[in-house]
Amino acid sequence: MVVKNEEVWEIEGRSFVSRLMIGSALYPSPAIMAKSIRASGSQIVTVALRRQSASSLEGGNQFWDIIQELGVTVLPNTAGCHTAKEAITTAMMAREIFDVDWVKLEVIGNQYNLQPDPFALVEATKVLIDEGFRVLPYMTDDLVLAQRLADIGCTTLMPWGSPIGSGRGLMNPYNLKVIRKQFPDLNLIVDAGIGKPSDAIEAMELGFDGILLNSAVALAQEPIKMAKAFKHAIYAGRLGFEAGAMQKRDMASPSTPTVGTPFWHQFN
Amino acid sequence: MKLSINGEIKEFKQKTLTVKELLELMKYNKGIAVALNETFVLKTKYAETEINDGDRLDILSPIAGG
Repeated sequence: MVVKNEEVWEIEGRSFVSRLMIGSALYPSPAIMAKSIRASGSQIVTVALRRQSASSLEGGNQFWDIIQELGVTVLPNTAGCHTAKEAITTAMMAREIFDVDWVKLEVIGNQYNLQPDPFALVEATKVLIDEGFRVLPYMTDDLVLAQRLADIGCTTLMPWGSPIGSGRGLMNPYNLKVIRKQFPDLNLIVDAGIGKPSDAIEAMELGFDGILLNSAVALAQEPIKMAKAFKHAIYAGRLGFEAGAMQKRDMASPSTPTVGTPFWHQFN
Repeated sequence: MKLSINGEIKEFKQKTLTVKELLELMKYNKGIAVALNETFVLKTKYAETEINDGDRLDILSPIAGG
């Protein structure tokens, strides 16, 4: 089956067809990573920066070569940063290396569940927007935090579904629904916690504009097949949202016409 | 002078170096970004940015990320 989605989605001044942003970490091998990214149909791939020795880079950077060959748009993250200063410095380094003005801003506030620090996140976002960045903040599903980030200029918000790498799906659909309702004009991405295609469908049916995931594909028994599953799930969820679901009813209502029912059951 | 480079202490006979000189000395090539004492250094400023004893450098390169 070929999924055709002619609708173009715009985020941060860029146009894409796929609403899936996919991570490049944790795959069983670089080859499986490349095949999974292709199979997912994703056009946006998240990448990171880490300390590396000169000797490890002697023959070039194999990972970076593979990503470049995929012809995707990269979205650098600031994973592993625990202070606003670290995140700001990492974002600036990423802008120079990757030559892009957007960043997935992560400032971790708790090591147990890798929960973002909302205070440092707002602080770093403010500085980076002033520096000309387009900031995509990885955040908790807090309505007031969403408001603060929107107030300082974010046009995309990325609330978590559940903690990074937990695969627990949407912990609090109500919070996500309220954020969607309160910010109809912002791009909203569920980032982190997606485990199954049905989690992605649920988020898309809530009206989210896209999904960012990594572990759900990379740690699946068959990553390439799971990448395809998410491609279809996100498309299906989006169509379902756009189509508008019927109202739930308490009582059954026959879908087959009752007029002309033969002699078995006559209700008068 | 002693420098902390990517978390490791290294000793250099020079008393001072620019970022450009240090990267050449250590045989770093393209595809890196540099922070000196946790502050980003623009590529265009490597030749004029001095490193002194006790400074900390972070030299980063792309890796996989989520």
